[in-house]
Amino acid sequence: MASVATDVAARPEQALVLRFTAAERVAHWVHFFAFTVLLGTGMFLYVPWFQPFALGASGEAARLAHRAAAVVFMAAPLIYLIWSPREFFYSLKESFSWGADDWGWLKNAWNYYAHGRTGTMPPQGKYNAGQKFNALTQIVTFWLFVITGLVMWFGRGSVPPDLFLLSVVVHDLSVIATVLLFMLHIYLVAVHPLMRESITAMFEGTVSEEFAAEHHGKWLTERVFRKRKDVKRQT
Amino acid sequence: MSQITLLVDASKCTACRGCQIACKQWWDLSATKTTQTGTYENPRDLESNTWSRITFHEYESGGKFQWLFLQSSCLHCTNAACVDVCPTGALKQNATGFVSFERDLCNGCAYCAEACPFGIPRMETINALTGEAKASKCNMCQDRVTNGMTPACVKTCPPGALQFGERTAMITKAKERVETLKARGYPEARVYGENELGGLRRMYVLTAPASAYGLPDSPQYPVLASAWQNVIQPFGYVATALAVVGLALNWVATRRSRLNHVESLAAPAPEAPAEKEEV
Repeated sequence: MASVATDVAARPEQALVLRFTAAERVAHWVHFFAFTVLLGTGMFLYVPWFQPFALGASGEAARLAHRAAAVVFMAAPLIYLIWSPREFFYSLKESFSWGADDWGWLKNAWNYYAHGRTGTMPPQGKYNAGQKFNALTQIVTFWLFVITGLVMWFGRGSVPPDLFLLSVVVHDLSVIATVLLFMLHIYLVAVHPLMRESITAMFEGTVSEEFAAEHHGKWLTERVFRKRKDVKRQT
Repeated sequence: MSQITLLVDASKCTACRGCQIACKQWWDLSATKTTQTGTYENPRDLESNTWSRITFHEYESGGKFQWLFLQSSCLHCTNAACVDVCPTGALKQNATGFVSFERDLCNGCAYCAEACPFGIPRMETINALTGEAKASKCNMCQDRVTNGMTPACVKTCPPGALQFGERTAMITKAKERVETLKARGYPEARVYGENELGGLRRMYVLTAPASAYGLPDSPQYPVLASAWQNVIQPFGYVATALAVVGLALNWVATRRSRLNHVESLAAPAPEAPAEKEEV
């Protein structure tokens, strides 16, 4: 395994590899933007302290913003799918493929992320087990949000009352699940010292080869390097 | 403050619908254009501008026919599901027991309309796409009642079928009336609302089973209505707080161990034997 990439900035002339395509980055940030607007406006109803914001003009603005952001939220995966279908289906397939290396990752995650230990982590694909778990939860809650949201938006008065109330409850539980993941996600990319480069990947698309080797070794050797060989063969 | 109750003695109601009109007049609610559909019932359902109406029912029991009339409106439950689910505080339980409503505070979410065991609140949809809407329901003439007056419908009722006052007095009156009715050949006479959902502040004296009037025989508080504010909200707070603490602990642990890590980079030779968490 490659050595640790904590001090990347100190070493110039790093070889860079493309981690996220433009489609992936745009879809990610559109999703991020929609999610934060939905969360912010949704909190008006969830947290009693914010109740004043749910009333009057700000309440109307919040109601409208929540619906507008919901449309954007629903569109985000479509951007990914239409713009970059190959990467979309590859990522989807990856998220649903769980093997021994993923369980190994989960077993060592605490030691690795809390104690900065390396060398015990099994090599990971484009997404490590934690990212796969995040993706699966995002997929499940996406559909829960969309279905229950549409029921509350357009089914008012026409769906059975129990279905409506259940939709409110499921919508709220989905919020709790995603907020917890969201906090972990922000912490790992913005605060955790081992993961500094992952946010660069989402802004610029690239990471250093060293970072890729440490965090996504399988992906680097099996996908990035193989692609590179293909390119060489063609030229 | 003493507890209030509006007693509807259905056996005295003549279906004049004076209460319906008095309600509209006091609250300045517009009339609805309706068409004759072969019944005296008009309009056929509660509406965002009809908070109370008389319903007509035919009932036969023991070879005896009864034409039943009932003032159908908000029952002002003591255990009010609508109050529990209202996220903006538009619906509140007044200290005297009735369920008040502030239209200005309503954001149109319709949780109340969906949670009500009697299906009372009506939504006035102003814009379906933006979700702009207002709930509406009888508020027990909150302005009149809190100023020492009786509700408009009670004030106007010619046969005295509607009475308003202190709850225990109303319960006593209702029970006396039931005994009288039983003696006069209404064996199915009963009080509805003494204990249902903690006690209904619109309480009925009926001469037939509740279902004959279109009321649920045993109204149930919807389980999901209490889940939201009693379970899901606190759960969300606790889970979020635990997550913050967890991440903070991780941050502390990471900062400490990162120093060890850099040292081990300088001298990479022996892999540290499985030494578990540093304390």
